[in-house]
Amino acid sequence: MKITVSINLGGYSFDIDEDAYSELKRYLKNLDLHFAGEESSSEILSDIEARMAEILRTKLTGYKQVITIADVTEVISIMGNPEDISDNEGPTRKEKFSKPGAHRMYRDPDKRIIGGVCSGMGAYWDIEPWIIRVIFFALAMGGGLGILIYLILYVVLPEAKTTAQKIEMKGDPVNIHNIKDSVKKEFDTVRKNMKL
Amino acid sequence: MDLENTKAQMRKGILEYCILSVLSKNSCYASDIIKELKEAKVIVVEGTLYPLLTRQKNAGLLSYRWEESQQGPPRKYYELTTEGKEYLADLDNSWEELVESVNLIRTR
Repeated sequence: MKITVSINLGGYSFDIDEDAYSELKRYLKNLDLHFAGEESSSEILSDIEARMAEILRTKLTGYKQVITIADVTEVISIMGNPEDISDNEGPTRKEKFSKPGAHRMYRDPDKRIIGGVCSGMGAYWDIEPWIIRVIFFALAMGGGLGILIYLILYVVLPEAKTTAQKIEMKGDPVNIHNIKDSVKKEFDTVRKNMKL
Repeated sequence: MDLENTKAQMRKGILEYCILSVLSKNSCYASDIIKELKEAKVIVVEGTLYPLLTRQKNAGLLSYRWEESQQGPPRKYYELTTEGKEYLADLDNSWEELVESVNLIRTR
């Protein structure tokens, strides 16, 4: 038995095994970092996501309804690793300094009421967006400061367009896989220190 | 010297030209372009196409329109702009020149 996750990739919805989801997430995040310096990087990413969704679609049949790790590995080998895709030599600066599992604030277009600022902040801090909306509303009533702050944030915060950005917006969700990873890392460090 | 690397560099150089040539026949969506490029063996990993398409679009060589699809979400159909057609004509010439030059050297 395996846990599955439900995702939206390039406009298609998929049920995907948790390990396959982690692998896909890692790949998309790497791509995102790789194209970070590029003009219209989010457009490139969403084009790639659309193509991956199209390929993954062909892996599903009436009998097989869940995307597995093998499907994801295959689609990644078709699309290619970031270093094979880009014609830039070597890693970009951003790639060197950016940590995996980055957590950034975006505007969330999926749950927006006006511009997605409050829903984005809610996703970032993992609190209900309506709490932030109430605060903004109160500030807006008391002299209009809320409106000004809202407008500034609307301009400053980018919209989360790609899957990788949406994951980054929420940070890494706590799940079995993450816990296993961090435990393994811990174990490796201890082993290295003890020179076993 | 690394043979694979040299080959990859050669392919990279002509890929941009090939994309424009594919689109000169009719407007296509990315997966059609991929199919042609794969059949012609000028592309290895599919991901290479997307940054190039976006760059060509930003440079004004291509434009795209969204078209409904029966099988899923709307698709992006790319086509050459007037500027793109001129650019391609220029590349056609320099390709012919290159082939001639290489042939000249090889057969001498």
